[in-house]
Amino acid sequence: MAFIEAQNLSRSFVRYSAAKDGGLTRLWRRERTTIEALSGATFSVERGELVGLIGPNGAGKSTTVKLLTGILTPTDGTCVVDGRVPWQERREHVRHLGAVFGQRTQLWWDVPIRDSFELLRDMYSLEQGPWQKRLDMLVDALDLGELMRAPLRQLSLGQRMRAELCGSLLHEPALLFLDEPTIGLDAVSKLKLRAFLKEENARGTTILLTTHDMEDMLALCSRVMVLGHGKLLYDGQLDALLGRYDTVHILRAVYDGAPDPSRLSGLNCTRDGDAYIVTYEPEKQPTAEVLSQVLGAGAVREMTLKEQNVDELIARMYQEMAL
Amino acid sequence: MRYVLHSMKMLWKSATQYRSSLVMQIIAQLIMTAGDLLAVLVLMDRFLHIGRWQPAEVLFFFGVMQLTFAMTECFNRGLGSFEGMIGSGAFDSVLLRPRGLLLQVICSQLDPRRFGSFLVGGAAVALASRTLGLRWTAAKALLFGETILGSLMLLMGLFLIEATMCFFSVRSIEMVNALTYGGRSTCQYPIDIYPKPLRLLFLYVAPIALCMHLPVSVILDRPMFAVPGWCVWAAPLTGLLFFLLMVRAWYFGVRHYRSTGS
Repeated sequence: MAFIEAQNLSRSFVRYSAAKDGGLTRLWRRERTTIEALSGATFSVERGELVGLIGPNGAGKSTTVKLLTGILTPTDGTCVVDGRVPWQERREHVRHLGAVFGQRTQLWWDVPIRDSFELLRDMYSLEQGPWQKRLDMLVDALDLGELMRAPLRQLSLGQRMRAELCGSLLHEPALLFLDEPTIGLDAVSKLKLRAFLKEENARGTTILLTTHDMEDMLALCSRVMVLGHGKLLYDGQLDALLGRYDTVHILRAVYDGAPDPSRLSGLNCTRDGDAYIVTYEPEKQPTAEVLSQVLGAGAVREMTLKEQNVDELIARMYQEMAL
Repeated sequence: MRYVLHSMKMLWKSATQYRSSLVMQIIAQLIMTAGDLLAVLVLMDRFLHIGRWQPAEVLFFFGVMQLTFAMTECFNRGLGSFEGMIGSGAFDSVLLRPRGLLLQVICSQLDPRRFGSFLVGGAAVALASRTLGLRWTAAKALLFGETILGSLMLLMGLFLIEATMCFFSVRSIEMVNALTYGGRSTCQYPIDIYPKPLRLLFLYVAPIALCMHLPVSVILDRPMFAVPGWCVWAAPLTGLLFFLLMVRAWYFGVRHYRSTGS
């Protein structure tokens, strides 16, 4: 049996709102709507994998994570994590689980972070010796040494994220959930954090990552699950997913004076201020052909050529999946 | 246990981060409760007795209620702000920890400011007991302790109703407040001075009077109802029973927890 095994996992919410019409009867009449936050998700994850969960806002990513962590009880279906049903054996389940939810802190706000880590030691009933060893290792890897005496509220966003990670890994969880771990971090911090996560994954920790940051995805995950409207739409290799879409190249040209519009016909061309933006797929239209047309239309002063980035690709994918 | 003690230490550290504010708030609480005490003393001065109770006896009842309520509010801060905890998603973090849920919620916040009220309550009991020349025996002291603890449990149970409602997004907190804060105001005087509906309410529905007043009346050597001795000892246990029932209800609510958006 796989490490995480989800069968037809579903969760719906019932929302009540006051009736739209009617006068006095609005006092007791309510309208009932059912929202399928997640419906019929079936998947499995092996121990030691690093899986990315992506999808637009409201796709059901958080709901999936909350079901797997045991925060929510499903309305239908089951899931088993490491042989345990999260919401039935909550305590034993969360003992082997770490979680970092981007904007929400799990440490204590007003006390030095070292004190938080000590309380976590008692909360997870860890032995002093191994705890100290693990803490030293994490403090070193996450570069927290000088921050241990500072209260959480005085830390910057990046420092706080590192402290949160340290707190969530002290008890050596077998499974780590990360929700937007690099949100709001500067470039250097992002790179460091990614390197750290890769290492942690290589040590055998299974990681489930939800993110909107496609750079994170490319750097960390080989496997992704795409969610949309509460359904699991894709589960497989990230490369294969991106390969489904033809690479689109974008050419940007600025002319001295106006170009000859007739020479540009037949190209997918839009204006952006002074510049002309041409998008094309090299497989269908050779770059040489496009270039000669663009150059022939007038005196080109500036020109850049680049591949469409992953964000644009994903946006196109969401569009095609009608999300 | 180590976890509980550690939590308290952390809360104390948090609280003392804003030291002068804490001291001011304790003093403010002290003054507020002392105001209540003065009101009782003034009443006592104007009237020779209320019902069949002498002024000092009424003061004793008042003191017991203040003591108990101060303790309840001290431990109840986490539960009292439970709606906020659910709204902000902080309860998610609680669910992610390998400890009892209710224990974590209670340990997440304590209210040391209530120490002021606690002092005033203690002073009222001591003053009343001296004025009355009450003879304390070991049995009475034990019963007194049991009464305080039982009533504490009962009040916590009542506040738990409020917390349980948060799971079902029912906003009927005012109704429950009528029992908790209303109970405090009502039951700081002996219950038998009130008309029947109020008596029934606090004896059988939210049994504050049963849990607190029956044993206290025995401690004062003026039993309220002609009941056998074991009943007096059993009365505070209703508080414990009520608490356990409400804990069950609360855990039932946890099953319906919906969390919040991310």
